[in-house]
Amino acid sequence: MTILASIDLQTLGDAFGQGAIYALMAVGIGLVFGVLRLVNFAYGQLIMAGAYTLAYTSGWPVAASIVSCFAVVVALSLAMDRLVFRPLRSSSPAVMLVTTFAIAFLLQAVALIIDLRDGQLGQVASSIAPLNQAVSVGGVDVRKVTFVAVGVAVGALITLALVLTRTTIGLHTRAAASDFRTARLLGVRANRVIAFAVVVSGLLAGAVAVLLTVQNPFVQPDFALEDTIIVLVGVVVGGIDRLWTATLGGFAIGFVSVIVNAALPTDKTVFLPSVVYALVIVVLLLRPAGLFAWGRRAAVERV
Amino acid sequence: MRRPPGAVTELLGPALLVILVGVVGTTASASNEGYFLNALVSVAIVVAIYVFVGISGVLSFGQISFVALGAFAAGVMTVPVESKKGVLTSIFPLLRDHSIGNVPSLLLAAALGGVFAFLVGLPLMRLSGLAAGIATFAVLEITHNVLREWTKIGPGATTLALVPETTGALQATLGALVAITVAFLYQRSRRGRLLRASREDPAVARSVGVNIHLERLLAFTVSGALAGFAGGLYVHLLGSITTEQVYLELTFLTLAMLVVGGLTSLWGAVVGALAVSGLDSFLSRAESGVHVVFTFTLPQGTRLVFLAAIMALVLILRPSGLTGGRELRLRWSLRRWR
Amino acid sequence: MPEAAALELDGVDIRYGSVTAVRELTLRVGRSEIVGLIGPNGAGKSTTLHAIMGLLPVHQGEIRLNGQPLRRRSAESIARAGIALVPEGRRIFGDFTVEENLRLGLAARRRAYMGDPLAPAFELFPILQEFRRRQAGVLSGGQQQQLAIGRALVSRPDILLLDEPSLGLAPLAVDGIFKAFTEIRELGTTILLIEQRAQRTVALANRTHVLVGGELRMTLGPGDAENTQKIIAAYLAT
Ligand SMILES: Nc1ncnc2c1ncn2[C@@H]1O[C@H](COP(=O)(O)OP(=O)(O)OP(=O)(O)O)[C@@H](O)[C@H]1O
Ligand SMILES: [Mg+2]
Repeated sequence: MTILASIDLQTLGDAFGQGAIYALMAVGIGLVFGVLRLVNFAYGQLIMAGAYTLAYTSGWPVAASIVSCFAVVVALSLAMDRLVFRPLRSSSPAVMLVTTFAIAFLLQAVALIIDLRDGQLGQVASSIAPLNQAVSVGGVDVRKVTFVAVGVAVGALITLALVLTRTTIGLHTRAAASDFRTARLLGVRANRVIAFAVVVSGLLAGAVAVLLTVQNPFVQPDFALEDTIIVLVGVVVGGIDRLWTATLGGFAIGFVSVIVNAALPTDKTVFLPSVVYALVIVVLLLRPAGLFAWGRRAAVERV
Repeated sequence: MRRPPGAVTELLGPALLVILVGVVGTTASASNEGYFLNALVSVAIVVAIYVFVGISGVLSFGQISFVALGAFAAGVMTVPVESKKGVLTSIFPLLRDHSIGNVPSLLLAAALGGVFAFLVGLPLMRLSGLAAGIATFAVLEITHNVLREWTKIGPGATTLALVPETTGALQATLGALVAITVAFLYQRSRRGRLLRASREDPAVARSVGVNIHLERLLAFTVSGALAGFAGGLYVHLLGSITTEQVYLELTFLTLAMLVVGGLTSLWGAVVGALAVSGLDSFLSRAESGVHVVFTFTLPQGTRLVFLAAIMALVLILRPSGLTGGRELRLRWSLRRWR
Repeated sequence: MPEAAALELDGVDIRYGSVTAVRELTLRVGRSEIVGLIGPNGAGKSTTLHAIMGLLPVHQGEIRLNGQPLRRRSAESIARAGIALVPEGRRIFGDFTVEENLRLGLAARRRAYMGDPLAPAFELFPILQEFRRRQAGVLSGGQQQQLAIGRALVSRPDILLLDEPSLGLAPLAVDGIFKAFTEIRELGTTILLIEQRAQRTVALANRTHVLVGGELRMTLGPGDAENTQKIIAAYLAT
C-alpha cells in the first residue's frame, strides 16, 4: 500500500487537526442551514472578522483578546441574521445563496478598507502565536494547536450534542430543523430558535477564528475564505440535511485533503485540488443525498 | 401554429439594448470605451449562464470553466507563432507551432466549450439541487487547477500576454448579439420549452415523457459553447489574462448579475449584466476620482463595498430581480405606463 | 348578551392567490362542545383550519378566540393562545422519541401545572407512557395518531382542532380515537373535528356542518346520524 506507507503519525495528527477545525465550521454552517434552509457563504467572513479582532487586540491580555473575538463574531452573526437572513426567509435558495455571496464580498471589502488605513495589507495576530509551537510526542513533532483544535472540537461537539438532546431549546431547534412549520404550529418560537442557531454558529466561528489565527497569524481580508469554500463542499458531500452528516462531511474533507496531499508525489502536489474535487464529484454521483446520509432522499431537491 | 405572444420584444428588446450600449461605447472617450466593451462581454457570459441555470433551474457554479477554457484556447492559438516560442516554452509543439485568426479562434473557443460541457454534463446532469451546485463547482476548481499548473497546454500561473486585442465595439456588440440570439432560439424551441416546463414541475415533465437528463445536457452543452465563445471575446478584449481572472470572482460576479437581473428570463440576464457592470464601472471611476455634480474620490475598496451592498439590497428588496424574471413584453409595459 | 363562543368564524373568506377556497364561512364552537365539519375532498376543510391557525391569511371576515380577534397573529402565537391543531397526516417527528414529541407539545403551554407535564397524554393513551423511549417513527398508524393527539393535549389547550384524525386507520383504531374525543370533551376541552367518516362524526358531535366547495351547505344534529339519505344529499347538493 503505497498510499499508507507515505503517511506518518505527523501527517495523521495534522489530518485530525484540519478535520477538527473543518468539523466545527461545518456545524456552524449546518446549524443555520437546518433552521433557515440557507447556505451561508458569508460564514468565512465571520471568522475573518474574529481573526482581525485578535490581530487588532494583540496588545491586550490573551484572554481579553479572545473574549473580544467571540463578542465581535457573535454580534456580527446576529446582525447578519437581522439585516439579511430575516428579510430573505421566504426567498428561493438560489437568491439566499447569492445574497450571502454579496454579503461576503461586502465584509471583505470593509475589512480591506479598515486594514489599509495603516498603508499596508494584512495584520499580524501575535499574542496567541505560541500555541503554534511543536511539542514532541513519542518522537513525533506535533504542533500544540493540533491538540487544542482536536480538544476544542471534541469538547464543543459533545457540549452541543448535549444541549441539542437534553435541553428544551435544543429540542425546539431540532424540531425546527426537521419540520419548521409543524414546530411553529406546536408553539415553538421561530425567532428564538433562529437566534439560538445563529449565536451558536457565531460562537463556533469565534473558536475557529482563534484556531486558524494560531496556525496562520497573518490576517488578510480573504482569511478563511478558501477554508469556508472547502467546508461548504464537504458539508454538501456529507449530507447537509442533517447536522451530524454535515459535520462528518466537514471533517472528512479536511482529513482527506491532508492525507491526499501527503500521498501525492511531491512534484504532483500542485494537483491536490483536482484530486480532491474529482473525489467530490465521484461521491456526489454515487450518493447525491450525502455520503453519510443512509437510507434518506435529499430534501433539498430543487435549488 | 399561432406565434407565441411577445416573441418580437423578447428578442428585439435585449438586442436593441445591446446595440445601444455598443453605439454609445463608440462615442465614449478611449479611456471609457473599455467599460462599455466589458459590459458587452459580460452580457455574453451572463446569457451563456442563463441558458443553463435560468432555463433548467439547476444551479451551476461551473460555467466559468467553459469561459476559462475558451479564453485560454483562443488566447494561446492567436498569439503569433514567433512570440509563442519565447513565452510559452514548455507548451506542446502542436500548440506552439500554429496560430489561427481571430474568427477561427472564437469558433474554436465555442467548440471546445461545448465539447467540454457535453463531456462534463454527461455524468453530472443527473444531479440537481445543491449536489449539482457543488459538483459543477468542483468542475470549476479542477479546470482552474489544471489550467494553472499544467504548463504543456498554456501559460500556467503566469500571464498569457500578446493576445491580439480584436474585441472592439463592433465585435463585442456582435458577440453579445450572437449569444442573445442563440439563447432566444433555444428557449423558443420545443426542447427549450420542455426544459423550462420541467423546471416548474420535474415530476409532471417526467410523467409526460420528457427525458430531463437529456434536455439538461443539451442546455448545458449550448451554455458551454456560448460560454467558451464569450471567453474568446473576453481574452481578445483583455489582451492578456491569468487563470485568476476566470475563476471565483468572475463566477460570483456573473451569477450575481444574473440573479440581480432576474434569474428566469433572457431580458433579466441582459439587464442584470448591464446594470451591474455599469454600476461597477461607475464606482471604479469614482474610486480614481470623478466629477459627478461635484468631484469626489473614494478610498480603495469602497467600490466593492457599494457594489456588494447594492447587490444585496436588490436581492433583499426584490428577490425576483430587477425584471422580476419576466421577458420584456411591450403590451405589458404599455399597460403599466398608462 | 350571550357568552362569547370559544371559537367563532364570522363571514370568513380564504383565498389562494385569486382563487377563493372558502367563502363566507360562519360557525361557532361553544365551550366544551364538539363541532364536526365534514365534506368531500377539496371542500376547504383543511384550509379553514389553516386559517384559524394563522398559516393562511383571512381575506375577509374575522376569526375570534374567546371573543378576541386573531387577526394577523403568527401560528406560534395562536398555538400559545390556546388552540392546538392535530394536523392532517399527523406530522409527528419520526426521528424523535415519543417523549420528545410530547415535550414539543409543551412549547405552547401557557402555565406550569403540578405533576408530570405529560400526564394529559399518558392518562388518555397509556400506551404512550409505555413506549415513551421508542422512536416515534416506528409506532403503528393508530399509535402515531394517539401521539399526535397527546402532543396537542399536553399544552392543555382550550380548543383542539383535528384534521381527519381517522384517516388511514384500522376500524379498531378508529373506535379508540373516537372514544378519546368523548373523554377529551368531558375534561372540558372544546373540539372542532374535521372528518370524512360522516356518520360517526354526526353521531358524536353536538352539531356537524357540511362544507361543500368552500360553502356551508347544511347543519346536522346527532339525531341525523341514522339519516344516511340526508347526509348523502348534503354532499351531493351543488
Ligand atoms: N396551497 C394551495 N394553493 C392553492 N390551492 C390550494 C392550496 N391548498 C389547497 N388548495 C385548494 O383549496 C381547496 C380546498 O383544499 P383543502 O385542502 O382545504 O380541502 P379539504 O377539504 O381539506 O380536502 P381533503 O378532504 O382532501 O383534505 C382545494 O380545491 C385545493 O385544491
Ligand atoms: Mg384536508
